[in-house]
Amino acid sequence: MKVTLFATCLVDMFQSDVGKAVVEVLERLGCEIEFPESQICCGQPSYNSGYVEDTKNAMKRMITTFEDAEYVVSPSGSCAYMFHEYPHIFQGDPIWEPKAKSLAAKTYELTQFIVDVLQVEDVGAQLAGRATYHTSCHMTRLLGVKEAPMKLLKNVKGLEFSELSGKERCCGFGGTFSVKMGNISEQMVDEKVCNIEETGADIIIGADAGCLMNIGGRIDRKGKPIKVMHIAEVLNSR
Amino acid sequence: MNGMIQNRNVFLDKIANRLGRDRKTIVKRPEWAYHPQDEVLKNATQDELVDVLKEQCKNIHTDFVITNTAKLSDSLKEVVNRYGGGPVITWKDERFDQYGLTKLMKEEWPQDGVDLHVWNYTKKEENIEKANVANVGITISDITLAESGTAVLFSSKDKGRTVSFLPATSIIIIPKSSIVPRMTQAARIIREKVKSGEQVASCINFITGPSNSADIEMILVVGVHGPIKATYIVVEDL
Amino acid sequence: MAMKTSVEKFNDRVDKGLQDSFMRGAVSSAQERFQTRRLGAAEELGNWEEWRSHGEEIRQHVLDNLDYYLFELSENVSKRGGHVYFAQTAEEATSYIQNVVEKKNAKKIVKSKSMVTEEINLNAGLEKLGCEVIETDLGEYILQVGDHEPPSHIVVPALHKNKEQIRDVFKEKQGYKKTEKPEELALHAREKLRQEYLTADVGITGCNFAIAETGSITLVTNEGNADLVAALPKTQITVMGMERLVPTFEEMEVLVSLLTRSAVGQKLTSYITTLTGPKEGGDVDGPEEFHLVIVDNGRSDILGGEFQPILQCIRCAACVNACPVYRHVGGHSYGSIYSGPVGAVLSPLLGGYDDYKELPYASTLCGACTEACPVKIPLHELLHKHRQVIVEKEGRSPVSEKLLMKAFGLGASSPAMYKIGSKMASPVMSPFTNGNKISKGPGPLKAWTEAREFPAPNKERFRDWFKNRPKGGEQS
Repeated sequence: MKVTLFATCLVDMFQSDVGKAVVEVLERLGCEIEFPESQICCGQPSYNSGYVEDTKNAMKRMITTFEDAEYVVSPSGSCAYMFHEYPHIFQGDPIWEPKAKSLAAKTYELTQFIVDVLQVEDVGAQLAGRATYHTSCHMTRLLGVKEAPMKLLKNVKGLEFSELSGKERCCGFGGTFSVKMGNISEQMVDEKVCNIEETGADIIIGADAGCLMNIGGRIDRKGKPIKVMHIAEVLNSR
Repeated sequence: MNGMIQNRNVFLDKIANRLGRDRKTIVKRPEWAYHPQDEVLKNATQDELVDVLKEQCKNIHTDFVITNTAKLSDSLKEVVNRYGGGPVITWKDERFDQYGLTKLMKEEWPQDGVDLHVWNYTKKEENIEKANVANVGITISDITLAESGTAVLFSSKDKGRTVSFLPATSIIIIPKSSIVPRMTQAARIIREKVKSGEQVASCINFITGPSNSADIEMILVVGVHGPIKATYIVVEDL
Repeated sequence: MAMKTSVEKFNDRVDKGLQDSFMRGAVSSAQERFQTRRLGAAEELGNWEEWRSHGEEIRQHVLDNLDYYLFELSENVSKRGGHVYFAQTAEEATSYIQNVVEKKNAKKIVKSKSMVTEEINLNAGLEKLGCEVIETDLGEYILQVGDHEPPSHIVVPALHKNKEQIRDVFKEKQGYKKTEKPEELALHAREKLRQEYLTADVGITGCNFAIAETGSITLVTNEGNADLVAALPKTQITVMGMERLVPTFEEMEVLVSLLTRSAVGQKLTSYITTLTGPKEGGDVDGPEEFHLVIVDNGRSDILGGEFQPILQCIRCAACVNACPVYRHVGGHSYGSIYSGPVGAVLSPLLGGYDDYKELPYASTLCGACTEACPVKIPLHELLHKHRQVIVEKEGRSPVSEKLLMKAFGLGASSPAMYKIGSKMASPVMSPFTNGNKISKGPGPLKAWTEAREFPAPNKERFRDWFKNRPKGGEQS
């Protein structure tokens, strides 16, 4: 199966290990991966800040980039959701709305793709440790991917789980919110890190680079001995 | 006499204008696409509804008594005693006689020194003064909602509103035949009356247990402005 | 108090909120309790999504036909002998009510909770006439006795105060002598207020839902205060926002069920009352005269536009209780009687961007509000629409942000620019980099690194690794 990877700009620039893990996991599951070089960013930072018109070129670029793809897979629920927003954003545009619709229809978040399309729940991963899982807001609420990550994680050998209290609550990232309202964001991520600590877990797993950068940055600043892992890295462990 | 209506046209014209059309003079109430309310306690028998009501009373801080017309007088007497006796105030309602309470009200209570005031509209304000100092207010439910544990009271000149609000405690007699699944059925009954040209009561109370508030530190206090305690006495009238 | 509750700047209000540890504790535990109850109440129905869809279709139908239903409502109120006044502005509403009060020569007025009367600053208008205006909702009474503090939550106005503070307010202002136990505090209020109901000349209520077909108004409380306000004084004035109505009793029933479950997790609250006109023929209790004041005050400007869905709101505060930002900053940070996500959408529409332009940004767009809303208002989308209006129509965004976003837009749409930018990221950031992290970031990163580390850009971008790796599934 041919999979076109939408790596996201955060992974490309800051978390290349996550991108590598995605490639390795999917290849192991028999996928052939391609990575179109012309991909940049889904446009959320400026779009979410209200610069809708200024973001349209970036979005059009992404639509064109993935035009010929069979499946578009992204290791970020939030960025994958953004592709699902495109038809809404280009509503009424005779050229771009249909193109946006076709992109949305073939775009999947990584775990969603593995579970729903590849129909795999056990990727044969193995990782010793006690973990907890952060459910990212956009992925769960907006993209509607709720079950897939836990289905996969439950089958990782050696991994124990503790429930994260307040797991439905936002970590305080919110893209530019984290700098625009830095003081509020700080309190939010601080509470999240406290909740993570309370679980006694030594690994925090997430499926969105933005949330993980936020949570990880706070864990690091507080000097907590908790490892931050993207779910792709967990699924790639053996 | 009809009341005055002021400033209406200019106000409604602006609304129509904002909605981008002329004023509407005919709107048919739509066939709604969803009917979730019909599923609640669908096909429940009258006995099952009594059980639901009894269970719900635990959630609403309300004592539940079930009795038949032969024993109603004793049950009522006992609850009034438990609440510390009179003064008692009741509606003027022929159902009290139908349920065999004449002897209690006309003979036993006077003999026992329980002060009883029966609502008498010709005495005007005196009724309210009596209600204000009453220890117990007794009313009869016109429709009863099993799901929420709610008594529906229709006001009239003989059925003063304040009987269920001003006394320190409240006893509501609930004819078993008056119990319906939920507010849906009550709303329909009321609407049928309206459609058949009957005038809707100037006050309809849907009363669910005693008055309460959680305005102070979210701690529940039972008994704020209205009754502090409440008992429902279900009468097997079927 | 008017809709605007503070003259302080947004950031100062937020700082104050963030430093108020009692308030934050109270808010977070209240949020958890409300959430648990709300979810429990939704779950036991088993078909909550259908309920929400039904609520949504009812509210949308009413808004689309608002002129018709308001006409029907006013006709039916009038037929039952009630007076109806349509007020386009806060001033019109207040002056009509002042007139009624003056004609009645009223000295004492009891009120039950009403957000719209707060919005139009009614109490001040009545006090100007020399009237004593008494709030009877326990939470609002506490705030009023305590020097007219603004509410911090739509459903629990005094959420930010603890019981010791409330005891002190009663002690200082009313010579209260008992303890801080909530039962004793409530009993004190009960005794005080009972006398007020019995001696008031006018009762003023809000309106949860008016019913067009019968000309009725519906009041929803747990305390029973609205019933006494409506039953005892000789004159009743009900003030409603113009969108708060339904076609018939049947739709009222559905919305009340959604409201009570979403607001407090109850199947129904203790007192739900529908009142139709003044009292009839022989009635002893109930008002002799009934006035319904229907208030626009900026609402019609919302109709027909992209923000219309906010008028579906039934004021349950489920979004407030779900909001992770409200959780930390509290209600007063919003500077409006309408706080939380609904406040962040509604306040700029009713009060203008001058006072409220920051509110739409006080959200991570996490969607918790949208998910909680019982009438399916897409709250986070409306917050985003505000941002778009602020940036694109109003041009109010800061120049530095505009430049940054322009640069981002260019970078994200031009591979050449992105290549330069992303390749340069690592060397450019290296002076700030310590190992694999940045602890003191420059420019916009500063706000980030105040609280957390920022990752250093990869030396080798993912795309470079991908291009250079040995092909054929053998991992590097």
